[in-house]
Amino acid sequence: MLIDIQNLYKIYNEGKESEVRALDGVSLQIDRGEFVAIVGQSGSGKSTMMNVLGCLDIPTYGDYYLEGTDITSLSDKELARIRNREIGFIFQGYNLIQELDALENVTLPLIYRGISVFDREDMAMAALAKVGMDDRAHHRPSEMSGGQQQRVAIARAIATAPPIIMADEPTGALDSRTGKHVLEILRDLYRGGTTILLITHDDGIAATAKRVVRLSDGRIISDNPQEVDWE
Amino acid sequence: MNLWQAFKMAFKSIALKKTRSFLTMLGIIIGVASVVIMVSVVQGQNRKTMEFYEKMGDNKITIQAMKYDDMDNEVSQKLQDYCLSLSDLLVGVTPDVEINEKVIIQYGAKTLSVNDWESMRFGGSINWDEMMHVKLGSDQYGACNNYTLAGGREMSYLDVEKTNPVCVLGSGAKEALFGFTNPVNETVTINGDPFLVVGYYNSMDIEYWPEMDNIIVIPYTFNRTMNSNNTMDSYVAKAKDAQATVEAMTRLEVFFNGLIPMNADGYRENGYTYVQSNNSNAQEMEQQSMMQSLVLGAIAGISLLVGGIGIMNIMLVTVTERTREIGIRKAIGAERSSIITQFLIEAAVICSIGGIIGIGIGCVGTLIAGKLLLQETSMLPSMTITLGAFLFSVVLGVIFGMYPAIKASGLQPVVALRAD
Repeated sequence: MLIDIQNLYKIYNEGKESEVRALDGVSLQIDRGEFVAIVGQSGSGKSTMMNVLGCLDIPTYGDYYLEGTDITSLSDKELARIRNREIGFIFQGYNLIQELDALENVTLPLIYRGISVFDREDMAMAALAKVGMDDRAHHRPSEMSGGQQQRVAIARAIATAPPIIMADEPTGALDSRTGKHVLEILRDLYRGGTTILLITHDDGIAATAKRVVRLSDGRIISDNPQEVDWE
Repeated sequence: MNLWQAFKMAFKSIALKKTRSFLTMLGIIIGVASVVIMVSVVQGQNRKTMEFYEKMGDNKITIQAMKYDDMDNEVSQKLQDYCLSLSDLLVGVTPDVEINEKVIIQYGAKTLSVNDWESMRFGGSINWDEMMHVKLGSDQYGACNNYTLAGGREMSYLDVEKTNPVCVLGSGAKEALFGFTNPVNETVTINGDPFLVVGYYNSMDIEYWPEMDNIIVIPYTFNRTMNSNNTMDSYVAKAKDAQATVEAMTRLEVFFNGLIPMNADGYRENGYTYVQSNNSNAQEMEQQSMMQSLVLGAIAGISLLVGGIGIMNIMLVTVTERTREIGIRKAIGAERSSIITQFLIEAAVICSIGGIIGIGIGCVGTLIAGKLLLQETSMLPSMTITLGAFLFSVVLGVIFGMYPAIKASGLQPVVALRAD
């Protein structure tokens, strides 16, 4: 089991009147090599789910095992290591650093991983090539379209070849054609053996996944595999 | 992430935000430059003052005593005898008075007119630098006043006792009368009477006070004939060391009480006394200049602190502005320490550059201030101040630069990512 969460809670302002249960006792198991879409309305807790699964946030209660490691017991430094090596993030708003060009943005996780100067540029270029952005390596985010920025963000996510990719509304800010292109890239990664977690509110996007988990009010209301015809 | 990478990131970030970086530096530049200039000028001033006292001589005691009804120099004689009796404390003692009447000194075609108040008055301005002084002293005049012989000899004890017409020239007087030739064994006339030049002194070379060299010393025994037997109320003594100076001064104070008694109010009605040493003057000056240094140092320190707070402000704004970036960096695997290191190096680099520019401006400023205020041709700040101001600015920047970075890097990545 790659990801195993048991009775996970994320509660804001606990005990106060304004208490919000973003995750309300969620249990979920995901195997290596799955393509899972987590679907829900805005406020259903799906983004909180991804943040917790991606070690960007800590759960209030509950257990989270990633490849058998108890994430809740790890130090800040160990969490940073997991974010760097195990998980690649794709955000709705791309989250590229504006002052750096595409290549530098993609190189960043490799720097934090400690890859030597000689290798990391090649690795970053290879990642950019995979998303078809190698000809824009020295453009700043402000000089690129949304779709191009998202492809750079994907290149950054896959540069360290992490076993898991988490994408939070990756097509949310893109037109349908570029959105399709981004989903195509995710499918390619899935075929290469990467586990994909796709968070979306759009059933049309979710239709691309092999398994759909529905969230509502912080709880899982359905969890079904589905047949997809990609070709 | 290695250090080199952190340096590269820091430089990149500084280069990308030039205005912000410059504003940060400005505080440090002004702070460091003002510290360097202020302290350097005070130090330069002090050095000059101390130099003056050093040339005037250590352990030199100036003694004055006079009784208003004493017309025969009786008090003076007693005072000198007493000083001579302090031979265990004093190396030498000499009267140090000046002829106040008009004196004409001649050598060949050259004439020096001393105290020629009338012609000076009518001739226009008084040139103090060229004014000559005829001094009445003993054989120890040079030793007590810290003059050193450039040639010939001092007056002898016998010269003084026998009222021999001999004289010793200060370098100013020697130059005025003899130019570059040797004056020893030449005869000058003072008010028509021949005096044999037995020696001449080296220049004291004290800035602002060339008069120190414009002297002609003759035996004090000429006081009776040449100075209308004016009261010889001033003496200069040279003590063996600093301790003897204090001891001799104490004893002299006691002796004065016997010589010219005080009334019930502790006031001498019949005369006055005065005893002062260069040591105590120098000490006072030193204390004074120390106070000056402290006060100016404090002012300069405050300006440094203000610069530091400026840095803190800008860093705080920067980090708030870049919280999202910190979130992104954390999301893709940056450890807390990497982020702190990056911001720390950024702050240190900015402050170092600011510090170096500040030192540069400080050096130029010191040079200019030295020239304008102290007439020094090449005054530069001391190594300690420069280094101290530099280190202070860097440490300040690092402390103030680090605090917000520590704060931001401690956030959960998701919190930082949400920031705008």
